[in-house]
Amino acid sequence: MRRFAYAGLIAYALISVYPFLWMVTGAFKTRTEILEGNLLPREPTLDTLIATWSRLHFLDYFLNSLKVTAMTVIGVLVVYSLASYAFAVLDFPGRRFLYWFFVALLFVPGITVLLPVVILEKNLGLLGGHLGLVLPFVNGTAPLTVLLLTNSYSSIPRELREAARSDGAGEARIFWSVYLPLARPAHITVAVLTAVPTWNEYVLTRVSLSDRSLFTLPLGLESLISGDVPSYNEVMAASLIIVLPVIALFLLLQRYFINGLTGAIKG
Amino acid sequence: MSTTSVELPARRLREQPPRRAVAARWRRRLVGWAFVAPAVALFLLMGAYTIASGFLLSFAKWNGFTPSWRWVGLGNYADLLYADPSLAADLRRAVGNTAQIMVAVPLLTVAVSLPLAVMLNSITRLRAVLRSVYFLPYVTSGIAVYYAWRYVLAPDGAINLLLGSLGLGSLRQPQGFLGNPDTALPTLIVILVWSSVPVATLLYLSGLQAIDRGIVEAAHIDGAGSWHVMRRIIWPLLRPMTVAIALLGVRDALHGFQIFLIMTNGGPGGHTDVLGLMAYRLAFMKGLAPSLGHASALGWLLFAGAVLLTLANARLLRRVQ
Repeated sequence: MRRFAYAGLIAYALISVYPFLWMVTGAFKTRTEILEGNLLPREPTLDTLIATWSRLHFLDYFLNSLKVTAMTVIGVLVVYSLASYAFAVLDFPGRRFLYWFFVALLFVPGITVLLPVVILEKNLGLLGGHLGLVLPFVNGTAPLTVLLLTNSYSSIPRELREAARSDGAGEARIFWSVYLPLARPAHITVAVLTAVPTWNEYVLTRVSLSDRSLFTLPLGLESLISGDVPSYNEVMAASLIIVLPVIALFLLLQRYFINGLTGAIKG
Repeated sequence: MSTTSVELPARRLREQPPRRAVAARWRRRLVGWAFVAPAVALFLLMGAYTIASGFLLSFAKWNGFTPSWRWVGLGNYADLLYADPSLAADLRRAVGNTAQIMVAVPLLTVAVSLPLAVMLNSITRLRAVLRSVYFLPYVTSGIAVYYAWRYVLAPDGAINLLLGSLGLGSLRQPQGFLGNPDTALPTLIVILVWSSVPVATLLYLSGLQAIDRGIVEAAHIDGAGSWHVMRRIIWPLLRPMTVAIALLGVRDALHGFQIFLIMTNGGPGGHTDVLGLMAYRLAFMKGLAPSLGHASALGWLLFAGAVLLTLANARLLRRVQ
């Protein structure tokens, strides 16, 4: 029975990594070898990765992606940790309404607001720049982030808040020195659950950016394939450049991914 | 005179605490509002305005360049549903494809991830490693992985070669799996299942770990077979996970179109066109044609569909229980 389980599990593990096998090995093949059908390169070469990184400007795309992702993560953490603190512990009219309102936005499909966002940003002159990506990305994470952070802040014992208050701390102080440090795992969860989709985002980025020097990695990758004949070794090298940081982040912070996903769905 | 001078301090005593309380209450309110202000401001700019203008646009004709909109009332909705033959035909086809995805992806995801989770739960060695490996398709989901799939599914790609070497040459697709109208949608469904198995397996695994081992053992002692335990005890206890997977599937089917845009762009011949992709095309791929109102109207139909299906689904699945 156990042996059967291992066989099934390993078989599915192979299915899970199947496209990655071809991605990794393809990135080490030359332009001619990629056209042959073998999985492993006969003469593995680093030239493809080096060429993709420098000549095809993937270093620039990488830095752009890093900038957009970092700005989005910081924006999300600042804006929604404040709001979630208010939803979890403060008392003011409109609290419950606003909370449910933010969570209910989960039902609005991205495509429904994509066009109006583009029109608005065109009118504001934000379209085509990185800020024009970051603002809608931050706003788009609102439902999930508010849900996760409000849950997390609510689970912090009220006595800590009362104790800080009797020591004369104001709300800003309590938020900063009690809630932010105690809810650190939730903040990391929010950061990784924001960073990964932002890193991979393609649709809004594609309709927003036209200046090549501002392209993020997904657009850089797309530009390789929209040419006449794509060289799949470069496409696979570029794909690997996109995927590796995400995999590294996941392996480092696996626990937070998993807590976040189960937490979000159970909430 | 004397009475008032006596009464005044008394009244002040009575009034002062409430006045201080009112000030404190206002202070509390202002603090609360200050904390939510950035989120609300961002929402007013990026959410409220865009939702409202998008909603208004669904009642107008506009190509994105002319200075003014032309109001057409419910015309855009009517065009999509029946009045414009070519749009209505496109919509019907996209609804059909979306519906297939919405049913097939959650069913297959459950069929794959439940056994995986049960097997993962039954082993001790390698469990953490395998769980990480299973998660790869989820964390990397995006254009890079879709291109890798395109590469292996191409006419001279790895899948065709694999089938040939396994002696299953008759299953090979000379036009590529995405190029043949009959295999394109099933292929994309398989890839969608592949991407959604990680989260589903994780949910089932956390559900299985929460089940009291005593219950299962007691059932075994009472002579229940493994199948019986699975069907009568484990499956009902995992119902909340199954509901969540079904709801996520409905949401993804209606909201998600990135994989279709990247891998087939709806082709060949519209066989993989879905509602989200159709709205995207109407919004961004029609040049000077006044199709932006249609795009908005379709977006709102999608929103209504998502809400109705989620409510219906949640209700139905609860009743079955």
